[in-house]
Amino acid sequence: MNTIRRRFQPEQIRELVLIALIIGILIFFGTQIDNYFSPRTFTRISTSVAVIAVVAVGQTLVILTRNIDLSVGSIVGFTAYIVGTILSINNDIPPVAVVLMAVAMGAVMGSINGLLVAYGRVPAIIVTLGTLAIFRTVLVEISGANSVLTNELPRWLVNLPPVNAFTLGPLDIRLLFFLAVVVVIIFQLVVSYLPWGRRLYAIGSNPDAARVAGFPAQRIIFTAFVLSGALAGLGGFMFLARFGNITVVAGQGIELQSVAAAVVGGVNINGGLGSPFGAFLGAILIDVLDNSLIRWLAISEFWRDALLGLLILLAVATDTVIMNRLRKVWARHELQVSGDGEPPAEKGGAGYAA
Amino acid sequence: MAETQTKQPILEMQHISKRFDATQALEDVSLTLYPGEVHALIGENGAGKSTLIKIMTGVHRPDTGTILLDGQPTHINNSQEAQTLGIAAIYQEPMIFPDLNVAENIFISHRSRGMVVNWGRLFKDAEAILAQLDVKLDVRMPARGLTLAAQQAVEIGKAISLKVRVLIMDEPTASLSAHEVDQLFRLVNTLRSQGVAILFIGHRMEEVFRIADRITVLRDGKYISSRPKAEVKRDQVIREMVGRDAGDFFAKSEVPRGDLLMSVRGLGKEGAFTDVSFDVYQGEVLGFAGLIGARRTDVGLALFGIEPADTGEITFEGKPVAIKAPDHALKLGIAYVTEDRRGLGLVMPMSITTNISLPTLRRYLSALGLVRRPEEQRTAESFREQLMIRTPSVALDVGKLSGGNQQKVMLSKWLNARPKLLILDEPTRGIDVRAKAEVHHIINDLAAEGLGIILISSDLPEVLAMSDRVLVMREGRQMGIFDRKDATQERVMTAAMGQQEHQEPTGAVQG
Repeated sequence: MNTIRRRFQPEQIRELVLIALIIGILIFFGTQIDNYFSPRTFTRISTSVAVIAVVAVGQTLVILTRNIDLSVGSIVGFTAYIVGTILSINNDIPPVAVVLMAVAMGAVMGSINGLLVAYGRVPAIIVTLGTLAIFRTVLVEISGANSVLTNELPRWLVNLPPVNAFTLGPLDIRLLFFLAVVVVIIFQLVVSYLPWGRRLYAIGSNPDAARVAGFPAQRIIFTAFVLSGALAGLGGFMFLARFGNITVVAGQGIELQSVAAAVVGGVNINGGLGSPFGAFLGAILIDVLDNSLIRWLAISEFWRDALLGLLILLAVATDTVIMNRLRKVWARHELQVSGDGEPPAEKGGAGYAA
Repeated sequence: MAETQTKQPILEMQHISKRFDATQALEDVSLTLYPGEVHALIGENGAGKSTLIKIMTGVHRPDTGTILLDGQPTHINNSQEAQTLGIAAIYQEPMIFPDLNVAENIFISHRSRGMVVNWGRLFKDAEAILAQLDVKLDVRMPARGLTLAAQQAVEIGKAISLKVRVLIMDEPTASLSAHEVDQLFRLVNTLRSQGVAILFIGHRMEEVFRIADRITVLRDGKYISSRPKAEVKRDQVIREMVGRDAGDFFAKSEVPRGDLLMSVRGLGKEGAFTDVSFDVYQGEVLGFAGLIGARRTDVGLALFGIEPADTGEITFEGKPVAIKAPDHALKLGIAYVTEDRRGLGLVMPMSITTNISLPTLRRYLSALGLVRRPEEQRTAESFREQLMIRTPSVALDVGKLSGGNQQKVMLSKWLNARPKLLILDEPTRGIDVRAKAEVHHIINDLAAEGLGIILISSDLPEVLAMSDRVLVMREGRQMGIFDRKDATQERVMTAAMGQQEHQEPTGAVQG
């Protein structure tokens, strides 16, 4: 029993529940919508989830530290528009340079957030609400309300969305979706295996203790914001590739979608709990629901948003209610000190109190 | 115990002084810590213990004096530097990361554990450290579920992993059960045998005498004594802790005791206090004395209905009452002036006038349900005069006033509710001498007008000078009620520290 309890922490159960929920929704809509289980459905959902997933991973890094990044929507729009404009002027920039440019642009914007939050000690919600508006306004000024048009972009970019990384039986794994999966895997490893990643959890878990624990908490928070910006920049590039036509309102609302994906995916809004993989599942869940509801004629378009909102509330409610209960099942473990003169605890720490 | 004098001390604090604004927190205090020795530091509230350990851990820097580490002069500029020097502190509330597992908590501060977390090795190393302490704990479990004692064990493990040489334990036993205290002391013994110098701060005499090799007493920021345990007796230590001069206190004038106002029997609240019983009469000041953690404030909060009691009976003016909410208490005529001015007492960005009328706003409403501002202002002006609130205008933000004047605004606010019983929680904490005297004067006048007053104060001379009777609490239990003539500093402190009077030191002391 103890081994089982050790292997499956409540947080992991949470991710299993999400996967089960996604499968359940798929089965439900399979009975409701004709020809639902087709490769096209997979392609459609995987394409639209890619951008949100990448941004949600960055959002997760920030939320883990008990902060929030509301500026990502504007960063996506800004990089998509500016990179698109540069490309329409010069079609010959190599693809790798284009991606790096988008990422760097996002990182610079993220570093502004990071500086103000980590070193200026301004609350993150205020800083990023401010930069959300400022980045967007700067974009509107620069663009003069013109749009980037698909036919001005280089061919390789316009043709990027339907490119497959590989195929999995009848399913096409699109390159952009594959890129998102790679990002998720990389950051899942980062938060599990790098000291930097573990300290994100430490900071969100107990900010006061983090200040005196003797590691550079401020720098870690700063870096989290830079990475969130950089990933939003990458999201901006993917956005540009996917849509081609970019207006000054591009990416609006992504900030809330990314927070929603993270929260539905089990990232605790108070920090310290959750993972990029969870946020990825959250993004998929929301997107599956969104895509399926559009095709499900039984429900009006107006109810779609309400249903999504309900889902988010449900996710937060389970987080507080069910998880707290589960944690109690994971019994409190008490201290055991063997008496003076007794042999020391056997190696391997076999003993732990129930 | 081994002859410590022959050993080379690890840490020496020499002639340390530290001043905060008007308060001399430490004055020429010296302390020497030897390896393999448990050194108890004791003193009343405000004796300077916290300031001293904050200097040792680099939170504050001394104004004058030197710190020697292994005989070398050292400067400790921040907590990270203290850590590098091998000085660590654990507090009553451990600094744990609840979402990380036990092993991560132990190694969180390490910088040299490689680029990538090797989970297998991390768990093994953590187990090895806990084994060194003879502690059994699953290092893979998240720290969230750990009991307080287990969290402290993790913190001690963390200190060991950082090669701690001086471990400061600031009231580590305050919220532990007796069994857990035994466990903690076993850990302390293990550390001692490994040559760590331990500075133990505690309020319970029996614990101090059980664990310490050497006892240092501070009083009012001054060094009083430092001796091996074998050479001191408990009552001697208590005498050294108190013995403060009560000269500059306003003594309460004799007021004939009026009718019985409130009587409390067997009052208790789960997890806070049990079996508190007392009477308060009109015109009487009943003092509540005790050390920090004695749970006196909880009694105050219960009587005002903020955190209602769950057992016991309260009779107010002869009628049995159940106080479940503050407006309940206010209706009866009970007011509570909080110790937490900033958090519970005043709305700092609002004016003096609006703060004063806040709990009694209904009285200022016109027929249309709007607040009659001139009326409000007249009240504020009258209190300004009555209580000598020093301010250019009653329209000034409360946040801009000095602590003493804020205290008076708070008093005005509750006096305006025309209470019959006034509960004052630490009314003179953090205010200057002159304001203090004025507050004492006000208390005196109010009692003379027939108000019943409960005065909760950690300032022992104050509570003794101002009260007709003194109720002493210790860790949620009532230790006794002393009449004014019997309430000496020694007796009250003895009760507050949980010592029986006239008790000979038990055999364990000689060990």
